[in-house]
Amino acid sequence: MRILIMEDDKQVAAFMGRGLREAGHVCDAAHDGEDGLEMARNSQYDVLVVDRMMPRRDGLSVIETLRAEGMATPILILSALGEVDDRVDGLKSGADDYLVKPYAFAELLARVEVLARRRDPGSVQTQLSVGDLEMDLLARTVRRGGEDVLLQPREFRLLEFLMRHAGQVVTRTMLLEKVWDYHFDPQTNVIDVHISRLRSKIDKPFGSTMLHTVRGAGYRLQA
Amino acid sequence: MSDTAPISPVPAGRFILPAFARTTAFRLTLLSAALFAFSSFVILALVYAATVTAGVRRADNAVAQESIAIEARFRAEGVAAANRYIVQSSVAGGEFLYLLNQPSGRRLSGNISNLPSTPPDAQGRVRFTYERAPPGGQTAAEPSRAARGLISTLEGGYTLFVGIDVEDEARFVTYILNAVLIASGLAVAMGIVSGAVVSRRFSRRLDDINAAAREVMAGRLQTRAPRNFSGDELDDLASNFNDMLDRVEHLMQRMRSAGDSIAHDLRLPLTRMRGRLEAALVEAGDIADREAALAQAISDSDELLKTFNAVLSLSRLQTGERRRALEVLDPAEIIADVAELYEPVCEETGHDFALDASAGLTILADRELVAQAVANLLDNAIKYTPAGGAIMLRLRATSRGAVEISVTDTGPGIPPDERPRVLERFVRLEASRNLPGVGLGLSLVQAIAEVHGAELKLDDGPGSSSGEGTGLRIALLFPAHRA
Repeated sequence: MRILIMEDDKQVAAFMGRGLREAGHVCDAAHDGEDGLEMARNSQYDVLVVDRMMPRRDGLSVIETLRAEGMATPILILSALGEVDDRVDGLKSGADDYLVKPYAFAELLARVEVLARRRDPGSVQTQLSVGDLEMDLLARTVRRGGEDVLLQPREFRLLEFLMRHAGQVVTRTMLLEKVWDYHFDPQTNVIDVHISRLRSKIDKPFGSTMLHTVRGAGYRLQA
Repeated sequence: MSDTAPISPVPAGRFILPAFARTTAFRLTLLSAALFAFSSFVILALVYAATVTAGVRRADNAVAQESIAIEARFRAEGVAAANRYIVQSSVAGGEFLYLLNQPSGRRLSGNISNLPSTPPDAQGRVRFTYERAPPGGQTAAEPSRAARGLISTLEGGYTLFVGIDVEDEARFVTYILNAVLIASGLAVAMGIVSGAVVSRRFSRRLDDINAAAREVMAGRLQTRAPRNFSGDELDDLASNFNDMLDRVEHLMQRMRSAGDSIAHDLRLPLTRMRGRLEAALVEAGDIADREAALAQAISDSDELLKTFNAVLSLSRLQTGERRRALEVLDPAEIIADVAELYEPVCEETGHDFALDASAGLTILADRELVAQAVANLLDNAIKYTPAGGAIMLRLRATSRGAVEISVTDTGPGIPPDERPRVLERFVRLEASRNLPGVGLGLSLVQAIAEVHGAELKLDDGPGSSSGEGTGLRIALLFPAHRA
């Protein structure tokens, strides 16, 4: 995927670029808001990673401008400002996701990949399937290999998120944000417990693992 | 203000006041003295003017009446009668001065030698001075005296002058005038003196406070401003100043110890991480071992990031940077979500978890912050309660109408004397030193309570499941919200 990084700290941008390239992506970097705006206008990117505080033009203004011009490319904001208000401002300006510094690179990579392969929001899906795992979003049912799997409402939403991003790494923080709508870190590894419960329902009875743990990053659902 | 600023030369012609004269107290005293002097001057000037005009009027009236009386005689009985009257009156030594001149200008009678040299006004009135003839043929001239008179021309060309001595009145008026000037001068002088004395006292006390401030700025934080406990405004200032310094000192100590705690708490995981990485590097083990070491290092660094994030969000909460609009919410929904997140964890850790929530309550709250506080309390309960213990999350309305969210556990509890301390940042009781965490959890809950105007209470729990300790009950009491 082609990714544009707008980050004024050249070292951070270089580190990010290297990491993303190692993960198989193509990366460009802009070190201030004006350059970033020009580059975003003049070539096609799959994802923009935008630092909030940049010289010459701040990230929010860049995003608002691009959105006003009709650009629909997914955007991830990076910011040291992590309060809910800041996040709300960021998302209001037209960004799709928000990552607070300091972050783990695995977190950034997972979020960028999820954004890049976002489904077209125009098409409403009623069915999800990964391998022999099927989810009916209208009937709220899950089947694996044709057998019904009974899930609690929250487990259903957790699995839905994992299925929508099948094959991609999703982090614990992402799950807390997207499934529980919490933006804080519990001291206890609550997500691990929920994942293992889900595993006991969708993997264990079928003898093959779909829900994998990615060490140091999070989880991946794979057929 | 830079303390290396060059001392600016005093502009030429600028009068330099002594230090006491530059104080506000002195200026105020001086101002009031000047106002007093001015007002007394105005009052006395009015008195003076009134006295002078009254005196003049009285003198003019007396002179006019005497003059009319003599003219009447003159018209009725002729010049001789007028002359006789003047002579008699002069000899009798009344207050009047007389002069009757013949048409030729020669003096006929009277007790003055000649007409005043000052020209009369249109009515014939005249102000003049005269010297009395020294009594008993002495040659020493008497001082000249002030008088007022009236010159009138009688039939046949005779000139009549009647005057009256106003010297005594004039002197009296002069006395008053001098008194006015002296009093005003004295008022100003005394104002300056008392102003100097008062401002000296005042300034000395202010200087003490300023000196204390300078000492503190120079780094001697224990310095305090002296007080006289009179309760006046300067004493009040000193007292507030001292309280402020106490607070600052306390905060600095807390910051210092927080900094020490952060360093202490972060050193351990950092050292551990470094050790693991080093071991992985040195031991030419297989790939799997190295990967495990790397994964472990990543999760260690995640822990560190968590700590930093906790420190940051606590700071922001405590400095009130997060002033978000609180919404009217049903706390039952908030805690049901948190319970749903933690219930499987309790199952995993072997704790008996129960949720007991009253329906239909409302609080003014920030959903996420309240959830975070409750999550923190549950984290703690899980961490400190031995397996097999019980954890209870409860929501109820208190008899006083407050809304109470409480977490009760059957862990060891916290001794009552240590309860206030556990709310401070980075305070970790000795008993929990070996457990994970950085001692921020409860300070965060406390900060969140403050944002909501809620009260945080720590009590004994129902007793400990291990038989040792009291268990712990932590309650957040939200003020009642009436929709």
